[in-house]
Formats: sequence, C-alpha cells, structure tokens
Amino acid sequence: MSATDPATGDDDPTVEMANQADREEPDLDRGPIEAWAAKMISNPQRAYRMTFYVATFFFLVTTLFPFYWLLVVALTPRNNLSEVGVLLPAGFNPGAFIEIFITLPFHRYVFNSFLIATIATVAVLLVGSLAGYVFGRLRFRGRRPMLLLVLVTSFFPPAAFFIPLNRLFNTNVDVLRPLISAGSLYNTPYAVFIPLSAIFLPLSIFILMTFYSQIPDGLEDAARVEGTTRLGALFRVIVPLSAPGVATAGVLTFISVYNEYFFSSLMTDGRPGSWAPMLEGILRFQGEFEVLYNLMAAASIVAVLPVAILVVVAQEKIVSGLTSGAVKE
Amino acid sequence: MATDTPADGSGSVFARPLNWLETQSEEVYAYVLLAPAFLLLGVVAFYPLIATFRFSLLANSLSGAEPFGEFIGLGNYVDLLTGETPFTQQFISVTLADGFPFVEFGAPFLQQALLVTLAFAIASVVFETVIGFGQALVIDQDFYGRRWVRVAIIIPWAIPIVIQGMIFFLIFNPTIGWGTEFMQWLGVFGDNPLSSSTDSFFIVLVADIWKTTAFMALLILAGLQSIDRGLYDVARVSGASPWQRFKYITLPLVAPALLVAMLFRTLDAMRIYGLIDATAGCETVPSLTCLVITALQESRRWATASAVAFLTAIVISAFVVAYLVALRRSSGGVA
Repeated sequence: MSATDPATGDDDPTVEMANQADREEPDLDRGPIEAWAAKMISNPQRAYRMTFYVATFFFLVTTLFPFYWLLVVALTPRNNLSEVGVLLPAGFNPGAFIEIFITLPFHRYVFNSFLIATIATVAVLLVGSLAGYVFGRLRFRGRRPMLLLVLVTSFFPPAAFFIPLNRLFNTNVDVLRPLISAGSLYNTPYAVFIPLSAIFLPLSIFILMTFYSQIPDGLEDAARVEGTTRLGALFRVIVPLSAPGVATAGVLTFISVYNEYFFSSLMTDGRPGSWAPMLEGILRFQGEFEVLYNLMAAASIVAVLPVAILVVVAQEKIVSGLTSGAVKE
Repeated sequence: MATDTPADGSGSVFARPLNWLETQSEEVYAYVLLAPAFLLLGVVAFYPLIATFRFSLLANSLSGAEPFGEFIGLGNYVDLLTGETPFTQQFISVTLADGFPFVEFGAPFLQQALLVTLAFAIASVVFETVIGFGQALVIDQDFYGRRWVRVAIIIPWAIPIVIQGMIFFLIFNPTIGWGTEFMQWLGVFGDNPLSSSTDSFFIVLVADIWKTTAFMALLILAGLQSIDRGLYDVARVSGASPWQRFKYITLPLVAPALLVAMLFRTLDAMRIYGLIDATAGCETVPSLTCLVITALQESRRWATASAVAFLTAIVISAFVVAYLVALRRSSGGVA
C-alpha cells in the first residue's frame, strides 16, 4: 500500500535524487513562486503530495462547514438573526438548545424516531437473516428469480407503493380495535416502520447473504451433528460468526430509517402523540406567525448527534461492510 | 449473538413446528424461511405496485367517499401526456429568473416534472461520480488522521434528509443566510432564490451533491480496494506515471463498481422528494414524486396520482435496463 502513497514517499529513490538535485542547484535569482514551481518540476512526488493535501483540505471544509454554520445560527439570539455572520454568531445564546424542548416536545419526536428505527432494524435483521441464509447457503428451485424479485423491489420509487398503502393504513380494521384505539394503522408507529422495513429489507438481505455464504459448511455440519436444529445452527453458529455483517446491516438499516423522509412525513398527521417522527418536529419550528430559525438550527444539531456518533463509532463497519464484504474470509 | 431467540427449540410452543421443519427437504425449508420476507415485500411492495396500476386505470372521483370512479383505461395517461390534466398549477414558477433552462412554456406539466427529474438525476450523478472519485482516492491513501478524514467525509451521507434540507434552507434564506449574497456576488442568483425555480433547482442539486457524494465515494472505494496492489508496482517498475497508472489500471478495474454505484444513485435521484419538500417546496421544483403528492393532497386526484406514480416506476425501470446492459458490456460477459 505504501508504494502508491503520496504522503510517505520518502523511501522512494527518485525523491532522494531530487533532494540532491535541490542542494546542488546553483543559486538562481528566483522569486518564491518560481522557486516553488521549480521544486515541483524537479520533484513531481512533492506536487502529487501537495495536490493530495489540498484535496483533503477542500473535502474537509466542504463537508464540515455547513454543520459549523448551523451551530453559528443556533447560538445567535433570535433578535440578532438578521446580522448572523458566516463565521461567528451575532451574540451568544445557548438557551436555544433548551428552548427547543419547551416550545415543542422535540424529545418526543426524537424518541418516536428512535423507536421506529429500532423496531425496523430488529425486524429487518430477523427477516433478513432468514432470507439471507436461504439465498446464501441453500440450493433450491427458483433461487435466482426469487433473488431478482427481491432486488427489483428496491428499484421502484416509494411513490409507486404509497397510494394503496395509504388507503390500506387508513382503513378501519375491527380486528385491530383492541390493539389500536382508532382501529386503523394511520398515526401509529406501524404505519411508518412496516413500509420502511420492507423498503430497506433488500439491502440487508444482500449484505447478510454475502456474509452467511462465506461461513464454511463444516461449521454448520458440526453444529448439526452436535444435535442443534436447523434454525439453531443458523442462530447459534452462522449469525454469531457473521457478527460484523449483522452489525453492518443493522447500522445501515437504522441510519436509513432514521433519515427517511417520504413515508415518515406522510404516514402520520405530524402531532407528537401520533408517533410523528423527528422530521415533523424540525419542520414545525416553521411556526404560524414566525419562523424560528435559531430553533430549527438547534433542533437539527440535536437530531444529527445520534447518527453522527453512530458514524464515528461504527465507521469501520459502514466502510468495511460496503468495501470488504465481498472479499471477507 | 442471537442465541436467546426462540429458535433453540426448547419452548413447547415452538417445538412442534421446529420438529416438523426438521423433517422437510431443503427446498421446503428454504421456502418456509423465505415466507416472512416475501410476506413483508408482498404487502408493502408487490401488492401496492399492482394496485397502483389498477387505480391508474380508473377515473378520478372528486366528490363522495370513494376517490375512484369507473374504469377509463389509459385515459389518465393520455391526459397527463397531452397536458389535459387540470393540476392546480400548470407551470413552474419563473419569477425573478429568465425561465427554467430546459422547460418550455406550454408543455404539459408532467413533461416539465419529468424534465426536472431527469435533469436533476443526470446532473447530480455526474457531479457525484467525479467528486466521489476524488474523495475515494483520498480515503484510499494511508496517512496520519485518515480515520477522521474518513468520518468527516461520510457524515453528510448519514444525516437525515430533513436536516440536509434545513441546512440549505437556512443558507439560502435571504434574511439570515450568506448563500444568496454570495451567489449574487458571483452574479447568478435572484433576490429570493428559494422561490425561483431555476435558482432552487441548483440549490437542491448542490444540497444533494453535498450529501450523497460520500455514498459514491464509499462504493468506488470498494472497487479501488479490490484492485491488486501488485499491478501498481509492476507499472512503476515499467516507468508509468501516476496519471498513466490511474488511466490504465485504476479506471478500467473500477468501472464495474462505478457503474453499480451510478445505478444506485440514479435510481435514488429519480425519487427525489424530501429534499425539495424541505427546501424550496414542490410548487417551485416539481419532481415526479412531488407531482404524485400534489395531485393527492391538493386536488384529490387519486387516479391521476396513481398514473404519475406508475409512470415514474416505468421511467426508473427503463434506466435500470439501460444500466444493466452497460454493466454486462463493461464486464465483458463475466457477470
């Protein structure tokens, strides 16, 4: 890896030769820019390293600056919002981070989102494990067409599913009456997590299938000889041995459900008691008389924190799950 | 990990079905385990897709409890394509700008939405591919602090769409944001960019590039890391410049992963709704999905909405087929 590496190119013989050339060069009358250009030409490694640092810096600023500016807006007191700068807040008012929970029950919205994302993740991992096991390890008639059918579902836009689902979830079903007060699924967590589980299921099936198919057959056979049932072998041998894959599928599903907009915004009426997710909370700061920009920014920061922490903690999972899933031993 | 699931067969409720399962052939076992997945997909995807198609063949019923009228065949599609459908809004708002670059006045509204969606999908995927390639090349290097650079690059991908929308809504808000002033200094935007279709289109585009480039970068990175590093050593020994190494080793070997990544991104970009809804609003930048929701909520035209939704699905399917053909060609019949 280090051979192609611009940051540590010192072991490269061409670099040393170039350094020597630098030292032996006669003192020409050069301005700083010309001297710099001459160095770049005599030592292309340095130019590549330079490009690399500039690119890294550029990517860091463009991805992180919007978050910093969100903080600037959140800290600016409401009356000074028209004077908010690009780099510094106009005033200092950390109270906005408390106000968001008083003006609206924002914690309830975040809790709703968490609950929906957690249930969806558990459901996807359970159902996806069974299907991933079948597609990854078993041979049966119709395997390819069925796998294709699963993957094709993820191609279609959610809008193509929405209208019948909306009707279905608004229908009063008497059987549900003891469970849900209104008798319909609209304004319940079910109306959000059922469609979202299905929409993100194909991705998890695909990830789990790849991981499960790489467990050697011998381990599963040994467990069966020891007397476990077929399902026991799946959940006691295959799933634990594929823990990184399960974690990857879980993290990706959780983030996807937490971040989703389409069904999350359409399947509830937006009140916190109706299990409306976090996005409704943020949009509600666009009040009737006044848009509370600083509260919107503060609420956005609070709602971003959980996923940001998840990315920091599980970034190896996210990246390696997507990158080395196919070459895992 | 999940050893405490009922699968251990000790519970008396589960014992009988588990014992039955033990005696079945592998094929039956496979179908039984697939049942929950297909049940879920059936309820949420297969049935709704067919139902949407059926709804789209019915007439709108604007009064009464039932939103659908009698069977009218392809009437809704004909009305949509010829511009007969009375949407509450017929043209993209062109206030404060000289008009939307690729939309003609008088064209059917569906056509306008289709053009907006396609233009958005193509432009965003092109930019995200190029920038994502750059990011992937950076993350692929081994350097001090690499872990944190990688985290920083991935974070936009992981943030909720509504917050992505909120950030750009605030940046381009004329009273508090700096974006409008900056763009006017460059000489391109009007006074209130979020109410002009042209300006908003570019805001939505930039917001999407900002968020999803990281996804492209990750998938391209997967392709980069599957390349045998020995190839680069060989190339160096034979005196290839870094640019030649990129052109003759990296690019051809990454192409299959790149095409897959572009496919996923295109499909995703064609469904654009949330970002528009949270920034400029569906009246300003109408995408196809926006049109479905507008027809449903504002004019109660359920059948028309179904027709738009099904058309969206057809357009997306066409893209899938085109990509699959390209992918098969680029991998030389291996796939």
